[in-house]
Amino acid sequence: MNNYIEKNILPLVTKPITYLGNEVNAVHKIPSPEMIRFAFAFPDTYEVGMSHLGMKILYGLLNEEKDVWCERVFAPWVDMEEQLRQHDLPLYGLESMLPLNVYDIVGFTLQYEMSFSNILNMLELGKITLRSALREEDEPFVMAGGPCAYNPEPLADFIDLFVIGEAEEVILKIMAAHREWKKAGGNRQDFLKRAAQIDGVYVPAFYAVSYDKQTGLITAFSPIVKEAPPTIRKQFIENLDQAYFPEKIVVSYTETVHDRISYEIFRGCGRGCRFCQAGMIYRPTREKTVPTIQAKIKALIDATGYDEVSLSSLSTGDYSEIEALIKNLVCDYADGKVSISLPSLRIDSLSIEMLEEIQKVRKTGLTLAPEAGTQRMRDVINKGVTEENLLDTVRTAFEKGWGHVKLYFMIGLPGETLTDIEGIADLGQKVVDEYFKIDREVRNKSLKVVLSTSSFVPKPFTPFQWMGQNTREEFKQKQRHLKASIKDRKISYSWHDSGVSFLEAVFARGDRRLGSVLEIAHQKGCRFDGWGECFDLQKWMDAFDEAGVDPDFYALRNRDYEEILPWDFINTGITKDFLQTEAKKAETALTTPFCPDACSNCGIMEFKKGWKCNG
Amino acid sequence: MVKIHYQFKRSTPLRFLSHLDQQRLFQRAFRRANIPVAYSQGFNPHPRMSFALAMSVGLTSDAEYGEVIVSTDIDVDTFIHRMNQALPKGLEIIAAKICGEGVESLSASLYQSDYRIRIKVMPETDLNELAASVRMYLELPQILIQKRNKKGKYVQKNIRPFIESISVCADAEIDHVNVKMTLIYIEQQCVKPEQVLASFNDQIRAVFVIDPTIELHREKLLLKVDA
Repeated sequence: MNNYIEKNILPLVTKPITYLGNEVNAVHKIPSPEMIRFAFAFPDTYEVGMSHLGMKILYGLLNEEKDVWCERVFAPWVDMEEQLRQHDLPLYGLESMLPLNVYDIVGFTLQYEMSFSNILNMLELGKITLRSALREEDEPFVMAGGPCAYNPEPLADFIDLFVIGEAEEVILKIMAAHREWKKAGGNRQDFLKRAAQIDGVYVPAFYAVSYDKQTGLITAFSPIVKEAPPTIRKQFIENLDQAYFPEKIVVSYTETVHDRISYEIFRGCGRGCRFCQAGMIYRPTREKTVPTIQAKIKALIDATGYDEVSLSSLSTGDYSEIEALIKNLVCDYADGKVSISLPSLRIDSLSIEMLEEIQKVRKTGLTLAPEAGTQRMRDVINKGVTEENLLDTVRTAFEKGWGHVKLYFMIGLPGETLTDIEGIADLGQKVVDEYFKIDREVRNKSLKVVLSTSSFVPKPFTPFQWMGQNTREEFKQKQRHLKASIKDRKISYSWHDSGVSFLEAVFARGDRRLGSVLEIAHQKGCRFDGWGECFDLQKWMDAFDEAGVDPDFYALRNRDYEEILPWDFINTGITKDFLQTEAKKAETALTTPFCPDACSNCGIMEFKKGWKCNG
Repeated sequence: MVKIHYQFKRSTPLRFLSHLDQQRLFQRAFRRANIPVAYSQGFNPHPRMSFALAMSVGLTSDAEYGEVIVSTDIDVDTFIHRMNQALPKGLEIIAAKICGEGVESLSASLYQSDYRIRIKVMPETDLNELAASVRMYLELPQILIQKRNKKGKYVQKNIRPFIESISVCADAEIDHVNVKMTLIYIEQQCVKPEQVLASFNDQIRAVFVIDPTIELHREKLLLKVDA
């Protein structure tokens, strides 16, 4: 197969080099019968998937195990898919080029809902039976994890087992269970029952859901085998500093979306923005130490030859020793041949000073995310950024020579009025005014302010999980209103299509009944829904129709606090009480402090005995 | 500052690299191999390295040339050894030498390229007839092709002076042939082997199936000093 593909197929597709798995630091092992063959599947293109940090960690971690060979597989781009289908060739794991259906486990990472259709497409291309209930004994186990696994229900029909939370420890327990199961002999059910007993593993087939015939609401959700626990506790690594991080990472030949070393300096976030799922589910905040970060970055540069490192986290400026870290890194790479970048900086002028110190930045674009246009709205979402913060930041940036500022906002937030929409335009205008206050000699010659809005999608395990999304008509109206409110020609406005956000809202807070919708949409050819050139909302609407499922029920309906939510069986450590309190505070625009300043009792300290945040 | 010229091979596993991919790959390999590459001055310093030719996607080669400037002395054996440890399978440095001052740039010193091309041909192509046709083609006093110039306008170019020789021989597969072609560089200009085959199809008769599955291999690349 290998040679045939190389000679006859790859010359015909774009980016052929991404289908060969022969990059520097790719792992190739000599297979043996007892070896566990694991295909780590990323349901998007190579360029997107290869930028994902979680895959790099788990790829390294699994391959440290002598008897496990973890390979990679990505969603083939449409031209490659066409070739595979035309030649009736299966989708294959990159390193060994074996068909996907001969692996022991195929593990998908769920980074965004819009990749769900790609999962079905990849299973089909890999010649794996779509529905787990129909899978034959010798087919792979299909596993999934990642942030979207916090509401696994829309994928319940297709995934054999989910990992809820951080996978570094759980995945090794699953490998151990697989080994024991293989040795003991048994069928698929036997393995799944073993797996279901591991903390953090959810096997959807072992649970039954019932619904109210009239309202369609969930009336009960419970396990049907004794091995399956009634609630699944999310897993998290207690000591991040000591946690596994690979010394070598695969170096792509083609340019990937984030074509650099991405090194995680801490996990979790204590800001408590009410729209942000990551900010809730990744609690508690855990940091790596400065010496660990320095040593690991050095090793990674040596092993890969990259000349750029980005310090990743949910809010880099919140790292407790950020100043020491930057000072040390600047000193380590004083020769200027390695550049350090700081993404996810908060809006304060200190951030700009840090950027100045560390980056050889070409002062073209500066992107900031105030998220909302008025102070009231920013308090509703608990963003914790004031207009003064923002204007100070842009003033500093303009003084340092930046001329292009992009501001990100969400529209359709809870309790939003047209005044809040106009606030976005006003803020843009104030930014323009700041620029003209700066001395002509000092400021950049040209000014461009871009306002960008996305349509808000309520997510599970956030204080807004009960809230209905705006209708597409409401979004359009708000977009039109904002466009009309912008007066200055230096300001331009770009927005994301709300069709994608609508679908995202359906799947983010959907339940098992969406399985048939996904299957029908897949049959209609839906895939790469996150890619404008592939997304076709009409196909999806037809799929909802044929499946007899009302998408508005999931996306637009305001839910009752008493309602059983599809993801209620998962315990993230953040209590439902806390989320409800936060939702109520949002109604009156009351803010909640940053965790290190004052604990607001989210529940994470009670979740794990002995755990103490911030010290 | 020392200039190193090196010769390298690219084989099948990495034939799909684009020119940019390969540049990135070498930059990273230099760093992994701990070669003290010199950087350009200025606001956005970049490593001082280049290739004699931009290799097209799909091309394999036994003879490519690259140039790198290093800031401290390094002996060529160490250079070759360390680089080959850092390079992935599919790229290999086969020779290197330290150049004195005033050595001509690589792209200016190109002289001649020998290609071996494996290509699909129209059904029932007779090899003897094809050989005769090739001779006929080479006897043409001038061979004009349509070419887009830098402004995007079509212009005519006589490619005959760039062709030294062409010969054809059989392949294990009946619907394929192997073509050997020697092409020369004149004032840093040249013609691509696919262009020659396409012009043969136009001028004599449509024999060669020119599609992306064509296999191009450079056997030799001569510099003026070698010739």
